[in-house]
Amino acid sequence: MRKIKGLAFEYICIGATLTALFLLALLLWDAWDKGAGWLSWRFLDSFPSRFPEQAGIKSALWGSIWLMLLTALISIPLGVGAAIYLEEYADRTWLTRIIEINISNLAGVPSIVYGILGLALFVRWMMLGRSLLAGALTMALLILPIIIISSQEAIRAVPNSIREASYALGATKWQTVKFHVLPAAMPGVLTGNILALSRAMGEAAPLIMIGALTFIAFTPSSPLDPFTALPIQIFNWASRPKAEFQYLAAAGILVLLALLLAMNAAAIIIRNKYQKYIKW
Amino acid sequence: MTSAIQTINLSAWYGNKQALTSVSMSLEENKITAIIGPSGCGKSTFIRCLNRMNDLIDGFKTEGEILIYSKDVRYIDPVELRKSVGMVFQKPNPFPKSIYENIAFGPRIHGINSNRLDAIVEESLRKAALWDEVNDRLNDNAMELSGGQQQRLCIARALAVKPKIILFDEPCSALDPLSTSKIEDLMLELKKEYTLVIVTHNMQQAARVSDHTAFFLYGKLIESGETKQIFKKPKEKSTEDYIIGRFG
Repeated sequence: MRKIKGLAFEYICIGATLTALFLLALLLWDAWDKGAGWLSWRFLDSFPSRFPEQAGIKSALWGSIWLMLLTALISIPLGVGAAIYLEEYADRTWLTRIIEINISNLAGVPSIVYGILGLALFVRWMMLGRSLLAGALTMALLILPIIIISSQEAIRAVPNSIREASYALGATKWQTVKFHVLPAAMPGVLTGNILALSRAMGEAAPLIMIGALTFIAFTPSSPLDPFTALPIQIFNWASRPKAEFQYLAAAGILVLLALLLAMNAAAIIIRNKYQKYIKW
Repeated sequence: MTSAIQTINLSAWYGNKQALTSVSMSLEENKITAIIGPSGCGKSTFIRCLNRMNDLIDGFKTEGEILIYSKDVRYIDPVELRKSVGMVFQKPNPFPKSIYENIAFGPRIHGINSNRLDAIVEESLRKAALWDEVNDRLNDNAMELSGGQQQRLCIARALAVKPKIILFDEPCSALDPLSTSKIEDLMLELKKEYTLVIVTHNMQQAARVSDHTAFFLYGKLIESGETKQIFKKPKEKSTEDYIIGRFG
């Protein structure tokens, strides 16, 4: 009887895994089936249009790239800096613990809430308008907790023996962090950052909240320009009645997925490349 | 005889837990002093006080005086102190960088001109009896060396900042017998120029390498003196019991 129960549990787990995989495959196949025929260089290099056969994702693609670069520029220094402070400098007091718990909580806050915050703070109060910069700041807030937590974990994984070795040679704290802790934590930090950015890449809700445009016929040329992004363009097409726009949405999804997969692949490659020597 | 290190009524606590109780001893220059005692007797705590490594632990505090060449360590900048009091740890802990970089790091952070680094690296590796084994692959990653080689690299790394005193915290406990004997030979060579302190669990090792031995128990210094005397005619009953293996 015990054996049967064990076996049954195993099959249930296999079933659960297969169901998840099957649904994912179905989703991918559906997007591929609808969208693959619409993928072309013209699709990548055209602005959106009322006529499906002329419509493309140029503005959304460039908007997303701009948005990611700005978000990375803002969130990585802040997030990694905060992680270094919390792990290496801050005393372990109740205050640090409260800060850390709150950062974890922030990572679970729905993205639309960050959109509301961004709207009030960046768009209205800082008067940045519906600009790329406002979008990037909002996205940076959204992924900061993830960046901080993953960077903290990477820094914590650097064994203390390395810090001791450095201090024992007369290194200061900053020298220890700069020459040993950060380089050793770098693969983990980079992986976490890339995964956080890829989360921001797929977010539509906060951008819609801060008023990113959905129909835009130019590519941004400065951080203060209005913009749109891939998920918004997809959302826009998917909500139109005409069947062709559904296919365009599917093609947009394929482009977005390709970008996300490329980012995740980069994360994996970086991790494997640097991990070769950093075994303790 | 000059004493390189002297402690006067040194007590230490981790939080509320007392780890050392009123330890007064003096360690001679250019000698090897072995510190023996069962686990948790405070011997590691003792040597980690000497270069203030324990300052890095939250809640650690000391009372009493530690004099390094007659200077109170409390009034020396820890960075300066650790430059003259080097340390080799229990588990070899090379940086995950090249052999060259491992040695060059210390001199570099102390502002040594980079055109002198090659010479310092060679000199340090020669002193640590590692030069002949690695001189053709200085740019290889230090993690590729064997455990014993890694530990000698760590010794070379400590030598590169030109300390006067080197502390060894159970340097051979993770090594095989052959590597251990190499390190012991090396220590005997090094004592011509440096003052060495070694914490060890291995009684034979203390007997083989040290000039002086100190026996710690429950955070107290029970007995210290010439190694021969401690091993042949200990004054205290507990020292004798420990040495002949009745506990520990």
